[in-house]
Amino acid sequence: MTAMSRRTFLVTSGAVGASLALADVPRAAAQSGKPVSFSGWVFKPDTVKDYVNFYNGKHTGQVKYEAIPWAQYHPTMETRALAGEIVDVMYCNHNNRERWYENGLIRPVDDLPGTDELKKKMTPANLDSLKSKDGTKLLGLPYFTSLFILMYNEPMLQQAGIKAPARSWDELVEHCTKLKKDKVSDTPFLPNWNNSPSGTMPQFMSDCFSEGAQVFDAKNRVIVDQEPGVARAMERWQKVYKADLVNPEVLTKTSSTDTHRLFWTGRYAYHTNHSYYLKTIAGEPENSKLAPKKAKMAMYPGNGSSYMWTDSYTVNAKTKVLEDAWKLTRFLGGNLNGDWYVQRQWCLISGLDNPYPEMYDHPEIIQSYDRWIDLKLLREQYKKGKVIAAYKEPWYGEYDTKAVAIVHNIIRGATAVPKGLKELVALQRSLA
Amino acid sequence: MRRPRASLRFSEARFAVFLVLPTLVAIFVVVLFPLAYSLWLSFTDVNLLRTTGPGIEILGVRVPLFRWIGLRNYLRIIDDPLYWSSLWRTLYFVGAFVLEAAVIGMGMALVLQERFGGRPVMRSLLLIPWSLSRVVVGLLWIGILDFEFGMLNGVLARLGLIDGYISFLKDGFTALNVLVSVYMWNQAPFATLLFLAGMQSISMDLYSAAEVDGAGYWQRFRYVTLPALRSVVFLVLVLATVNGFLMLDLIYVLTMGGPANDTTTLSWLGFQTTFAFFKFGPGTAILYTLTALCLLLTFVYHRLIVARFEPEG
Repeated sequence: MTAMSRRTFLVTSGAVGASLALADVPRAAAQSGKPVSFSGWVFKPDTVKDYVNFYNGKHTGQVKYEAIPWAQYHPTMETRALAGEIVDVMYCNHNNRERWYENGLIRPVDDLPGTDELKKKMTPANLDSLKSKDGTKLLGLPYFTSLFILMYNEPMLQQAGIKAPARSWDELVEHCTKLKKDKVSDTPFLPNWNNSPSGTMPQFMSDCFSEGAQVFDAKNRVIVDQEPGVARAMERWQKVYKADLVNPEVLTKTSSTDTHRLFWTGRYAYHTNHSYYLKTIAGEPENSKLAPKKAKMAMYPGNGSSYMWTDSYTVNAKTKVLEDAWKLTRFLGGNLNGDWYVQRQWCLISGLDNPYPEMYDHPEIIQSYDRWIDLKLLREQYKKGKVIAAYKEPWYGEYDTKAVAIVHNIIRGATAVPKGLKELVALQRSLA
Repeated sequence: MRRPRASLRFSEARFAVFLVLPTLVAIFVVVLFPLAYSLWLSFTDVNLLRTTGPGIEILGVRVPLFRWIGLRNYLRIIDDPLYWSSLWRTLYFVGAFVLEAAVIGMGMALVLQERFGGRPVMRSLLLIPWSLSRVVVGLLWIGILDFEFGMLNGVLARLGLIDGYISFLKDGFTALNVLVSVYMWNQAPFATLLFLAGMQSISMDLYSAAEVDGAGYWQRFRYVTLPALRSVVFLVLVLATVNGFLMLDLIYVLTMGGPANDTTTLSWLGFQTTFAFFKFGPGTAILYTLTALCLLLTFVYHRLIVARFEPEG
């Protein structure tokens, strides 16, 4: 073996180093922007990583993605802002969007290129819900939209000789009573009365809307004590609970995800929950006894209205890479390449809907949805989706959480309906 | 003769300070500053996103001080009926948990102190519940108690002991007691470990002397074991009390404070107020009342268990 002198070693290693550095030049030059930080709460983080990698490859971006557990996500973003950290693009749920805007954490996106075109493509209700409280600014682009739907267990209804799913709430209660009496199901009805922010209160609003009732007035004050439809809905909830038509443990379930898994067992006839959960119920035979397509969707009973909301991607007001951050935001929540890449992925992978109706004409989407839901019926349901503006009020988060206990007491009969509804009004007034 | 270098001319006291200084700095940064700052927050109007008020610079980092509002956060929380209902529930939870953990911990220690085949294996297995994270403990017990998927209902139904499935979390008071028992399952092994260590330090001569005097098993336990374990009992009670007051994870996994507010304790209320409603001032005020309760009970335990038996002079 030939010995290498110190000089030869230095020269050789210098040459190797220089050639490696030069080889990296084209790649570095191709990367247009500066690094963009992007944070979201944990929901299928591998899917997010995949499309971030796709974006980095296709658009020569330098996006750094980080997933934070849901429960800590919004406080973490705020404490990071307090520490001076700038996360350029952030998920933001509907309850916190106005708060982040009013306190200067996020910026409106109206003045950024391409926004007007996206606004035109969005359904007006979703567009309204993404706007600031005064209705003048668009605070982000949509991550997803969803609403409450009615799902039913078709084999169970057939077994009981019920030919069509319930169209009214009275009919639903009648079916459930029969199923229990005939011992087809111990607890045929599974409403989403769980304890989380996505459970009891959105379910409460859905059922109130389906009765034609308002929950908030034009000034976002709670008016449930003046609405006969709300009282009707609550009396029905008391009735089904008292008659043991509902599994009482749903009141301590900690998420809508946990709640919808109960429906997998095939032991319930009716379930109300976010639309996208039907994908696992009717589309995942490895998990659900009601797949493939033994669980179906029916139009929400009553007048068909149910609660709808829109979560979003937002841009940091202090971002130093606005152009790149906006480009990423358009890729995520808009239509950067004309192929709705990210929005389409969420539809295909998780059944998460978006507020761009034109996307639902895409054959790939139609084919995918056909495996688990009646897409035409779902689109009809979306036309009846009702958004609220009250979540733009600073008191809303606290009201929404504390109201759960009052509603649970109404359900269990611990509080009479009129008294409970007055307590909801009093709670809102105490916080406003 | 060579003169000693100046840097080595430390007095003994200065040298000691020099040695402990890094530890003191670490304690200040990790313990004292967060304590003092969070206590300060409980007297202020905090909005994490509006930090334009007064602040202090520490090592180049600006720490906002927020607007001082005196006792307003404390007055606000004591005016809230939910605070008081949560306080009584917390006291019940802590009382039941401390009692269960101490009694069952002591019982298991007494069994494991005896000689029998498989004792070393039993002592090792005992630590498994304690070594699990509480989130895992919560998920494990959901798997056992769940109305729909729970193992316990399945076993009871197969044995023909029940007609329909039992809902263990349906009723608020039952759900609270389920939380107490699950937490006891998780924490009692640690109490057992401490009691066992204490028992092994008791001289066998004392037991021999008691036997000569005709003392039976329970008399030996009452007059030899218990007095000798006084300081360990104090330690177990203090740790169980503090852990009971601070328990949060199991509520998060099992009930989220429901149904209604039937399993909402002060720690859960403080967590929600701080991190769900973004009210850091009232949230820290709630949690500081918990700290005060812990200190008060520690003082009471000390007076009742340790101080009364301290030798005079």
